[in-house]
Amino acid sequence: MKVLDIALKDMLRSFRSGFALVMMFVAPLLITGIIYAAFGGMGGDGGFDLPLTRVQVVNLDQPGPQYSFAFGQMLVGFLQDEGLANLLQVTEATDETDARVAVDNQDAGVAIIIPPDFTTAALAPDGRASITLYQDPTLTLGPGIVKGVVSQFVDGFAGTKIASGVVADQLGQRGVAIDASLMQGIAMQYGAWAEGLGQGWDEGAHPLLEIQLPPTKAEPVSQETSIFGAIMAGMVIFFAFFTGASTAETIILEDEAGTLARLFTTPTPRAVILGGKFAASFMTLIVQVVVLMLASAIIFRIHWGEPLAVSLVALGLVVAAAGLGVFIMSFLKSTRQAGPVMGTVLTLSGMVGGLFTTGIPNLPATYGTINLLTPHGWVLRGWKLVLAGGGVSDVLLPALITLGMGIVFFVIGAFIFRKRFA
Amino acid sequence: MRVIDLALKDLLQIVRDWKSAFFLVVMPILFTLFFGAIFGSSAEGDPRLPVGFVSHDESDALSTSLYTLLEASDAIRPVVLEGDDADSATDSVRDGDLAGAVIVPPGFGERVLAGEGPRLTVVVDQNTPSGQTASSAVQAAVNRLLGAVETARLSAEAFEAQQGFESEAARRTYLDETLALASEAWLQPPLTVAVEQSGAQAGEGEELSANVYTQSSPGMIVQFVVFGLNTSAMVLVLERKSRTLQRLLTTPITRTQVIAGHVLAMFIVVFLQQLLYVAFGQLAFGVDYMREPLAILLVMVTLALWVSSLGLLIGAAAKSEDQVMMWALMAMFVFSAMGGAWFPLDVTGKTFAAIGHLMPTAWAMDGFQNIVLRGLGLSSVLLPAGILLAYAVAFFGLAVWRFRFE
Repeated sequence: MKVLDIALKDMLRSFRSGFALVMMFVAPLLITGIIYAAFGGMGGDGGFDLPLTRVQVVNLDQPGPQYSFAFGQMLVGFLQDEGLANLLQVTEATDETDARVAVDNQDAGVAIIIPPDFTTAALAPDGRASITLYQDPTLTLGPGIVKGVVSQFVDGFAGTKIASGVVADQLGQRGVAIDASLMQGIAMQYGAWAEGLGQGWDEGAHPLLEIQLPPTKAEPVSQETSIFGAIMAGMVIFFAFFTGASTAETIILEDEAGTLARLFTTPTPRAVILGGKFAASFMTLIVQVVVLMLASAIIFRIHWGEPLAVSLVALGLVVAAAGLGVFIMSFLKSTRQAGPVMGTVLTLSGMVGGLFTTGIPNLPATYGTINLLTPHGWVLRGWKLVLAGGGVSDVLLPALITLGMGIVFFVIGAFIFRKRFA
Repeated sequence: MRVIDLALKDLLQIVRDWKSAFFLVVMPILFTLFFGAIFGSSAEGDPRLPVGFVSHDESDALSTSLYTLLEASDAIRPVVLEGDDADSATDSVRDGDLAGAVIVPPGFGERVLAGEGPRLTVVVDQNTPSGQTASSAVQAAVNRLLGAVETARLSAEAFEAQQGFESEAARRTYLDETLALASEAWLQPPLTVAVEQSGAQAGEGEELSANVYTQSSPGMIVQFVVFGLNTSAMVLVLERKSRTLQRLLTTPITRTQVIAGHVLAMFIVVFLQQLLYVAFGQLAFGVDYMREPLAILLVMVTLALWVSSLGLLIGAAAKSEDQVMMWALMAMFVFSAMGGAWFPLDVTGKTFAAIGHLMPTAWAMDGFQNIVLRGLGLSSVLLPAGILLAYAVAFFGLAVWRFRFE
């Protein structure tokens, strides 16, 4: 009962502190919320609403009188198509220098410069030409989209040209007479095929590709769960370890204030007092983790996964965070030391454990191994598995390891504290 | 003179507290090094996204052509997977070790050339940016492969119509040869798209050092000068709690001088922090801040003015040490993340980007990036510096209005 009294007193203290509340609940939700707003939550339909990329197109293409096509003008028309209006804001510039200056002055994100010989190069047998994209180097997504769109268009003509050239070479080598009508027929057939391929692609059907989602142990996960689940998990873990350490700090705080010495004069055994402190940390962490998970499920629509597996991973986190908190504090002499040491140890272990890089894809494989040197890394692994649809059997190993780590940390920390207050 | 004395006292107090070294120097450098190491090792050698390539169609020319076309992509690099790695390719995509995986089915080449249309399996999570990039790059390469197949088919038809093949084997040899030629031609297509980056006023022959740190280094500067306020704003709160501020008023020093002294100390701390981070970025990461020293100095000074005004506001609003830490953290999260210090605003949604650009930190990022990324000169930082100055005045006014000596 005394354990509970001590624990409830410490919990009350934590939940009355504005700073503790901010660090427990506001900060992790705020950080994930900002990232959510940036990458997913501000579109009209809840989807991602890309900013328009301002494009200046300079069409210098001057097809000779012998050509009935003007491919440069076709590209301009393609870029100004209504289908691209939600991605690109295209204006025509008459002068290359003006377009480049517009990009330099940030009046445009990308300038597309169609060279004077574009049509000629596309139709003449040995012609070569290159369209230049002049882009603002601070932009990444917009120029990437422009490059994809222009490349798709250019590949259509390049393919026709390659087809004509290769067919002419192959037939010529075998002594077949090549005339203009034969080559025109090849070019037209290829052009029709490329057009059909493009249309099929636009309608979501590709003749050669079957796009599959990576496998999950359960049902496919949503975009919110896939992206923001991992980010939120990193935040929950980081701030849970912070809570574990700061609630354990009350031992030092009470020691400095003299209230711990007073407690020792009462008939309460020291093991009960330390047990109460640990219980406070444990219960505070349970409240924190549950509130954060519920809030993020509602706000960010994160589906955390199978309840039993999630509970196991969450239990591992709570025990590890509480244990590490007692362990860290057992080495400290004063609250003056506590802030920076806590900051350093938790920040470093969070970094090594991979908590700040959950949103970065395709990190080096060795980094994934290094993550597992810390309890944070094991908790994160368990959490990633439940987010991907893993069940109890999948998360058993990381959960058991974090539980084990937490217990070992607590036992060592409690031993040091008992020795210190003996 | 009194203002300087007071500022020097604050500086001494900050320097003597060993926590300052951690918050102002160690932590920012650790973070910059950490993210530098992460992004640096990702970009090391081949910065393209890794995509697994599993071929169940052994000794087939078409899957070899596909591999070559994927290898030619500037967005992805194919990683050949065999044995156990091939079996776990899809798990590697799920775990984020690969951006995607292309699985070539048995008899792929034969069936494609026969017009049967077998399908390549592409395992990719299109809900992620890297998955979308990988998916687009694979589609572009596959379209080129299909173009080569169509070329071979058209060529064989034309030859058949003109001369005819002696046997099915001769037809197949012709198809394979044509396919190889067309695939090779796609490696250097006659019509291409070339990308040039703007670097408007960079001098003749001057190479801008665009690297992975040109976003992260200015971002870290902006983030940690705001976070560093937890030390300098703390001085104010401690003085108020210990009634030193009230005692100061019994001396001939004026209220304006007291505020000016504290702001001056904060300004010096923030400016020195920036000097340290700029030097670190220049020397350790090759971010060329010093190509326009005057412009960088102007951004640093105006950023320091705004941040010290924010520090004064925090010092005026906070009632305890905990509150200083809390407000400094909140300011860091909101101003850094929304102002483009954590990720470029152009990759965010339309509304977020518009709101983000209202932040003073976004203008500080603009100022730094105009120099280190866009290669612009002094005139390019006048607007960002002017806006930072306006924010500094507004925050300073607010702080003075809220300031209490008791």
